Amino acid sequence: MADLGAISLWIALALAAYSTVGSVAGKLRLSPALVESAQSAMYAVGLALMVATLSLVVSFISRDFEIAYVAAHSDLAMANKFTWVAFYAGNEGSLLYIATILSIMSAVAVWRAPEKFKDALPYTTAILMLTLTFFVAVMAVMANPFDKLPFVPLDGDGINPLLTHFGMFFHPPALMAGLIGITVPFAFAIGSLLAGKTGDEWVDAGRVWGMVSWVLLAGGLLLGSWWAYTILGWGGFWFWDPVENAAFMPWLGITAFIHSIMVQKRRGMFRMWNIVLINVAFGLALYGMFMNRGGSVPSVHSFGASQLGWIFLLFLAVGVIVPFAIFIWRYPLLKSVQNLDSMLSREAAFLVNNMLLLAIAFVTLWGTVYPLLSRLTNDEEITVARPFYDQVNGPLMLGLVFLMGVGPLIPWRKAGMASLRRSLLLPVVGGLLTVGILAALGLHKDYALIAFGLATFVTTGILMEWFRGTRSRRRNSGDNYVTAFCALIAANRPRYGGYIVHLSVVMVTLGIVGTSFFGVQRDVVLGIGESTTINDYELAYLGTVEVQKSNRTEFTSTVQVFRDGELLDTLRTKRAFYPSFNMAATAAAIRSTPVEDLYVVPSENLPDGSVGFRVLVNPLIWWMWVAGPVMVLGTVIALWPQKIQAPAPARPPRRFAPGPRPSAA
Amino acid sequence: MKLSNLLAPLVYTPCKLSLRVLLSLSLVTLLTVTSLAQVNGLHAQTPEPPEGSYSESQAQGIDRMIMCPVCPAETIDQAQVEISFQMRAVVREMLADGKERDEILAFFVERYGKDILAAPPKTGANLVAWLAPVGGFGAGLVAVFLIIRSMSRQRPALVTAQPVQDAGLIPYLELVDRHLDLTRGGTSNQPSYSVESRGTDVPEQSEGQTGKEGKG
Repeated sequence: MADLGAISLWIALALAAYSTVGSVAGKLRLSPALVESAQSAMYAVGLALMVATLSLVVSFISRDFEIAYVAAHSDLAMANKFTWVAFYAGNEGSLLYIATILSIMSAVAVWRAPEKFKDALPYTTAILMLTLTFFVAVMAVMANPFDKLPFVPLDGDGINPLLTHFGMFFHPPALMAGLIGITVPFAFAIGSLLAGKTGDEWVDAGRVWGMVSWVLLAGGLLLGSWWAYTILGWGGFWFWDPVENAAFMPWLGITAFIHSIMVQKRRGMFRMWNIVLINVAFGLALYGMFMNRGGSVPSVHSFGASQLGWIFLLFLAVGVIVPFAIFIWRYPLLKSVQNLDSMLSREAAFLVNNMLLLAIAFVTLWGTVYPLLSRLTNDEEITVARPFYDQVNGPLMLGLVFLMGVGPLIPWRKAGMASLRRSLLLPVVGGLLTVGILAALGLHKDYALIAFGLATFVTTGILMEWFRGTRSRRRNSGDNYVTAFCALIAANRPRYGGYIVHLSVVMVTLGIVGTSFFGVQRDVVLGIGESTTINDYELAYLGTVEVQKSNRTEFTSTVQVFRDGELLDTLRTKRAFYPSFNMAATAAAIRSTPVEDLYVVPSENLPDGSVGFRVLVNPLIWWMWVAGPVMVLGTVIALWPQKIQAPAPARPPRRFAPGPRPSAA
Repeated sequence: MKLSNLLAPLVYTPCKLSLRVLLSLSLVTLLTVTSLAQVNGLHAQTPEPPEGSYSESQAQGIDRMIMCPVCPAETIDQAQVEISFQMRAVVREMLADGKERDEILAFFVERYGKDILAAPPKTGANLVAWLAPVGGFGAGLVAVFLIIRSMSRQRPALVTAQPVQDAGLIPYLELVDRHLDLTRGGTSNQPSYSVESRGTDVPEQSEGQTGKEGKG
């Protein structure tokens, strides 16, 4: 199996390199046959990499410890389902995963590329395959997952216990796929530049693949937060770790991109800006992959660390500089066909949204590099961690939430007073009412008040749009409300899918605000039979059961939860100690409700049977985890192909009338 | 109420809309600045307790400012290792002795160096760390403002690039503009098809007339 895998890697490398060169040469020498063959080679790369992937999976399942990677990341005790996780637990495997995903995405993207893009397609293929060549070459030469040990060990080292969690089945693969996925819209953008096609031909593919990457990154980030929340044992979900930041920044970039690309799609504007944005997003994605592979900043994600960092840094430099050079070369051709009519227009709102997203990315990047700068210039060791980001990015994010409420309600081109009043009055009143009511109820944290007000503002705006659209559709068709609502969403999927995604962002905001401002935390040591209180909960610790497993000692502690003397729940929290890793893994017991989570996690087991617990009450965090599926649903709706696609420029510019117009019906 | 006062100008000020946009942008800026002034940042804060007594959330606020010296990128609030347990105990002891937050942080800085703090101090050269984001944000705002202005000027600039030869045409041009509903009553002698009057004095538009510059 190892040999089959290694051979298919080398075949993939040769094919990818050929496909890169062949596409460009075929295009330049006007040889359609060569272009064709290069494209077939691209499909074949996908096949070869799938064979390599499959052989690594088979090696894991058969526990072929002759392969160094298998021996390092699995053992005989590992359940087979964890093969999926072990596959990308180290550098070699995750590189193979990334390469395989990129090859599949490339194949699908090129295969489904629109006819009008055909001229530029060879360049796009070449960029995709050049990136892939880099990954496969690094893998084959420096981090080959099929390298053999000089001897066959009796058992492997085992899988990192922190990874044996449900969230780990999706968090790393989603993030890695999202990061590498940005290559696809990037390749379309640069491909069209190279071909001199500086119009809007690439926009549809760019938007679709941008959104695919977006949802993968967003889902990956949420899953990672959920994993941290349930297993890391400190009760939070996000702490601006350098590697978290490295995944967060490309997400910001691609968020800006998928908003601004809509302006190009609808209005033919922001052509240069979109190219800049996708370049930035791609650069940030490369940076993210660099950070994850031996970046120079300490992080909790250090299990992927290696010496590959400098190669990635080099690729990062090339991946940023060359596209910008191409951009500057083609700059004179990139002219918007439309002008911006007014400061008060959706276009302008999108620009401000882009600016805020980039500002957050800038702050995050700045925080990451500031310690290095300080070391170089001041010779002073400085840490930049959570308090910095909370204080600086918090307000920027509130600004984004505000724009999220305004953007969809403000018309394209130019907003008049009447239209603004019509669409913004109710949401503004709703937001102010929320602030007033909460303040009257005794809530005195300004930040939280603003955030809740903004959340209501956005939600009211969206619900109002839905209601108005449904009502007028019902009036036109005579359907009932449910049918009319479904028809409304189906009629303009990008728009209404986007609203659903916005709602999910509001839900995430609720979770963040709830825990940041109203979370309560206690660290207590409880002996058997002792109890403690937090808010109106009373917790009684009953005892711990200790179980020896083959690779760990598991302590399961039972805690009863009372409120007003009534038994609410019995929670079992787990803490396992892995001697071979000298590492403890915890599993929090969480009593989750939409109002608040009661969170209990053991931090230490003392010899006398008493246990150190961390107990938290985290208000509203439930909404954050529910937001994940809602967000995916919204994205799927927005991406679902529309059967009859009216060419965008042919539509009359949308003023402010919400809901369906005759043209959309 | 403090907040509604803050938001009121956005809703009630009878000013031009572009000004309102600027107002809302300035609100965002204001938030940025006020947040920097907050010592505890986003974390829970409680009112000043009497000497020697402290609240747990106050202690946790301090915990979150101190990095764990042995674990990568974790504060002592998060890290579940022996030394962070001990450091948390020290924080509470010092609070019980009536020490202030700044004194406690200074104590740890003296022992472990400045990088024990989870965020750079807002003094001296490290002020740069805090001001750069604000500066970047301000530059971004200005850039967006300039971009919007220059983009909205492009097309009219093409028109006005050729000066109107015959001054007698101006009333007719104004009439055309008025029919296009671009001006409100033609109050000025300035040719109202120039940008300024369009950009800043936007009249209300009725819902019906959407097609005047329609591309389709």
